[in-house]
Amino acid sequence: MLIGNPLNSSELAFPVLECIHILAFAFSVGTAAIVDLRLIGIGMTDQSPSDLWKDTSLWTLLGLIVVVFSGLLLFSSDPDNYYLNYAFLLKMACLLLAVVHNYTAVRKAASGAATPANGRLVGSVALFFWACVVFGGIFIGFLNSTLDSRRV
Amino acid sequence: MILEFAQWLQATALFTGLRGSAYLYPVVLSLHMVIIAFFGGMVLLTNLRLLGLSMSRYPAGAMLERFRLPKRYALIAMLVLGFLLFGCKAEEYYYNVWFRAKLILLLLIGVNYLIFRGSIYNNTAALDRAVPSSAKLAAALSLILWAGVVCAGRGIGYIEPPLDKIHAGLHSAPHAALYSRSGVRRLV
Repeated sequence: MLIGNPLNSSELAFPVLECIHILAFAFSVGTAAIVDLRLIGIGMTDQSPSDLWKDTSLWTLLGLIVVVFSGLLLFSSDPDNYYLNYAFLLKMACLLLAVVHNYTAVRKAASGAATPANGRLVGSVALFFWACVVFGGIFIGFLNSTLDSRRV
Repeated sequence: MILEFAQWLQATALFTGLRGSAYLYPVVLSLHMVIIAFFGGMVLLTNLRLLGLSMSRYPAGAMLERFRLPKRYALIAMLVLGFLLFGCKAEEYYYNVWFRAKLILLLLIGVNYLIFRGSIYNNTAALDRAVPSSAKLAAALSLILWAGVVCAGRGIGYIEPPLDKIHAGLHSAPHAALYSRSGVRRLV
C-alpha cells in the first residue's frame, strides 16, 4: 500500500466500522422492507402505503447514508482486493438497482399510483434486490478468503 | 458438560456436512443477515414509536400488537439459523468471548422483556392513551441491547480459539483462548 490509510493502522477501526455498517443496514433495509411488504399486502395493511412511506422514509434515508459512508470507508481499507472480488461487484450492482428502484418505482407505488398487482411486483422486486445486496456482502468474505487471511 | 455437548453437536452428520459445504454455510449466514434486516426494521420502528420519534399517527399499543407476531416469527427464524451457524463450530464458539457476550446480551433482552411485560408489552390498551416514561426506558434499553447483540455477533468472527493447542494441553488456561485473534475473515 502506497498511501497509509488510518483505518489500517488501528486494529479496532475495521470491526467497529463493520458494526456501524451492519446496524445501519438493518435499520435502512428493515424500514424499507416494511413499505415493500405493505405493497405486497403483508404487515401494516391498516395503514396506507403513502402514510407508511412518510413515517419510515426519514429513517430509511438516514440508515442508507450511514451504511453507504461506512461502506466507502470499509472499501478504502483494501480497494483493490474488493474490486477484484466478484461478490463485491455483484453487491454494488444490486445496491445501485435497489436504491434506484426504492426511490423511483417504490416511491411511486407507495404514493398510490400503482394497481395492487403492480404494487406486489414492485415490492417483491425491491425485497429481491435488497436480499441480493446482503448475500453479496456475506459472500465477499467467502470468495478470495485465502488472500484475506494472508494479509490481515 | 457444555463443552462435551458442543463437541458432540459439531461432530453430528448435519453439522459436519454444513461445515464442509463451500456454499451452504455462507447461504445460511446470508439468510441470518436478511432476517436481521427485517427484524431490525421492526425493532427500530416499534421502539421509535414508544420513544415518540416515528409513526406518530399510529397508536403505540396498536403498533406493538401489530408487530408482535411478525417479530416472533423473525426471532424464531434468526434463532434457528443462528443455531445452524453455531453448530458448525460449536467447540470454537464455546471458547469465543464474543459468542458468550452475545448470549448474555440475549439473556438481558429476555430479562428486559420480562420486567416490562405486564406494565408495557401486554398493557397495550393503556399505551394507546399515553406512553409512560417507563415504556421509553424499555424501548431505549431494547435498542441498545439489540445493537449490542449485532456488534457481539460480528465480533465472533474475529476470534479463533486455538483448538489444536487446547486439545494438545498446551493451553493450560482455556480462558486465554477466549481472546485469541483470528486471521480475520472480513465480511460485508
